[in-house]
Amino acid sequence: MIRSLITALFCSVISFNAAHAQDEKLRVVASFSIIGDFATQVGGDRIDLRILVGPNSDAHVYEPRPANAMALAEADVVLTNGLQFEGFMDRLIAASATEADVVALTENVAAREEPGGGHYHFIDGEAIFHAGGLDPHTWQSVVNAKIYVENIRDAFCEADAINCAAYEANAEAYLAELDALDAEIRASVGGLPEDRRVGVVAHNAFGYYEAEYGLRFLSPQGVSTESEASAADVAGLIEQMREADAGAIFAENISDTRLLEQIASEAGLEISGVLYSDALSEPDGPAPTYIAMMRHNTRTITSALAGDQ
Amino acid sequence: MLKQLAYSTALALVLAGGAYAQDDHDHDAEDVTLYRVFVGDHAEPSVTAFDLGEPDNRWTFETTGQNKLYSVENGAAVVAVQSFDDAVNFFTSGVSLHAHGDHSDIAVTDPTAIEETLTGPRPFHLIDHDGKAVINFDRGGYVEIVDTHALSEGELVTSQLQQARAHHGYAAPIGDLWVTSVASDEPVEGDAAPARIGLQPINADGSPAGDVETCTAIHGEAFSGAYLATGCQEGVLTVTEGADGLEFEMLEYPEDLPAGQSTGTLLGSKVMQVFLGNYGGDGLVVIDPVDEPHFRYIELPFRRVDFALDPTNARFGYVLTEDGSLHQIDMLAAEVAQSASVTEPYSMDGDWNDPRPRLAMAGDEIVLSDPNAGLVRRVSTETLEEVGTVEVEGMPYNIVVVGGSGVDHEAGSDDHDHAEEGHDHDHEDDHDTDEDHDHE
Repeated sequence: MIRSLITALFCSVISFNAAHAQDEKLRVVASFSIIGDFATQVGGDRIDLRILVGPNSDAHVYEPRPANAMALAEADVVLTNGLQFEGFMDRLIAASATEADVVALTENVAAREEPGGGHYHFIDGEAIFHAGGLDPHTWQSVVNAKIYVENIRDAFCEADAINCAAYEANAEAYLAELDALDAEIRASVGGLPEDRRVGVVAHNAFGYYEAEYGLRFLSPQGVSTESEASAADVAGLIEQMREADAGAIFAENISDTRLLEQIASEAGLEISGVLYSDALSEPDGPAPTYIAMMRHNTRTITSALAGDQ
Repeated sequence: MLKQLAYSTALALVLAGGAYAQDDHDHDAEDVTLYRVFVGDHAEPSVTAFDLGEPDNRWTFETTGQNKLYSVENGAAVVAVQSFDDAVNFFTSGVSLHAHGDHSDIAVTDPTAIEETLTGPRPFHLIDHDGKAVINFDRGGYVEIVDTHALSEGELVTSQLQQARAHHGYAAPIGDLWVTSVASDEPVEGDAAPARIGLQPINADGSPAGDVETCTAIHGEAFSGAYLATGCQEGVLTVTEGADGLEFEMLEYPEDLPAGQSTGTLLGSKVMQVFLGNYGGDGLVVIDPVDEPHFRYIELPFRRVDFALDPTNARFGYVLTEDGSLHQIDMLAAEVAQSASVTEPYSMDGDWNDPRPRLAMAGDEIVLSDPNAGLVRRVSTETLEEVGTVEVEGMPYNIVVVGGSGVDHEAGSDDHDHAEEGHDHDHEDDHDTDEDHDHE
């Protein structure tokens, strides 16, 4: 009798805990808006999402706030891009003392070395090459975006096994949408003549888009908006533009347009539109989700390079 | 066999770093952690430098007077401001750190005194920001702007920026503009200092770039993130660079703070956009310039002697109170997390410049001078327990620590030069503190 009572009591405690866990939302922090959208697609209404670097904001130069550290401290899962995209993140995580699973979504992504990176040390007359970093803008290829989504699905399942089936179903549906998006971009870019595939952007954020879809982008800045272009960089870029017969110049939602306007003026071109590189737009803008962003960028690029504008 | 051993050793040293797999180091590279302490004597015109881990590595430099010390250019140089003797001396610290994204390079040599000095009427506040150490000459009506990169290479390159009237204040660069504190133009009697009334944006040539923003009795300044914050009687005035010039915002003290007090000393975090300021003698405020509440008050058990922020773990700051207790401040919770007794009591009664301990941070240690004991004490940030002491002749007083951890590419070689290709070194070296003192 006593044994039955204890068993009943034990079972009721278990079922209470299970029900509590099922009702409680998974607390997720995403480092920037694009990852936040991926998390929303996979997590749906089962997650309570906080995004550190919001729409139209630049994670390269973001200044984190105490509220960000508090959000990390309370999180169950922290989603980051990795590849040093969020320069503030490691120290912010340390300050928060978070016990959450911190997941770098570029895990399993084949990253490319930052173009033109690296420098030399001269030690005892010997030139020692210090390799450059890896280009962190991996989401600009939809193929890579699918890996992000799979990593998020796995992270959510790990942290919240009870709702894993829902995360898997959401991810599967979204991955199918990404497949369609990928095919759409390939068809759009594939329609451009081979000699109309060079454009100019403010910072070198489109390396993976170039490699995946067969375009070429020139830029006055490196892969980080933290560095500033010198006069020599600009002069060199204009020479490159002439050699490559660059057909269009694009502004970026996270970058100052003054430098690009100067380049456009010197090259005899006009800015052909705004691309969304490292952040989504506000909800009422043209790129409030990743899929909308990639569609908007592709439409802007292809119509400018095709000479439709 | 020897060759194999050398290869294995080099490999082990490189692998010990772990975090810089992207590097293509095919030469001897060694992980090095080195903190070098510079301490000024209270009575004697001298600065002693020693390596924290090997205090027998020690150097002494003579100066003109008592030294307030500042590290600039990410610790590559040290500035000794001698307010009572109208002089400023400069040193290369011998420890330079250059960030390379996933790791830092460190280069270590002996510290040296730079032959050239600055002289002028009452140098006082120094702000280190954007590659410039800006020293206010309180009785000269100007600031000297020192190029800190040149300083780190042993060269003194300066320019001057004039202020409308000499006063105990400061100037700081923000983007393409500057701000300077402004004194009242009311006449004063004798040697009395004019009242300080606000902060004004100016151009690099000293001409006004905007109106004076009211900040009564302006004192104390620090940078954190995009913000410069400065203490006023009304509140804390913040400045940021906006699309159309500088933007000012007065964060007024909320009514729930103790009445009749204000902030006059500020520290700025390099990791989070947040400030730690005093609020009167026995209170602190955590100041968030963006999110509300902007002020969170921490009451201390005794009056504050000195305080510092932890650059390694932005969650914490440390404050020493006059009973000799060191308190760890949790910047997120805005509370004292733990306390421990570390020195004999040092009363805050008496002159502001009486010999009392000063704090500095060295990785996972707090390093504090203990003038009466003739010691520099090393205290663990984790436990607040003393982990060692270093004897220093005289009365060790003002203190700075330079250094950190990095990869030493010069291991086993004596010559090192740098050439970059599409890659800038990071020279973040904002000076984020100002000192407690009475005003003229």
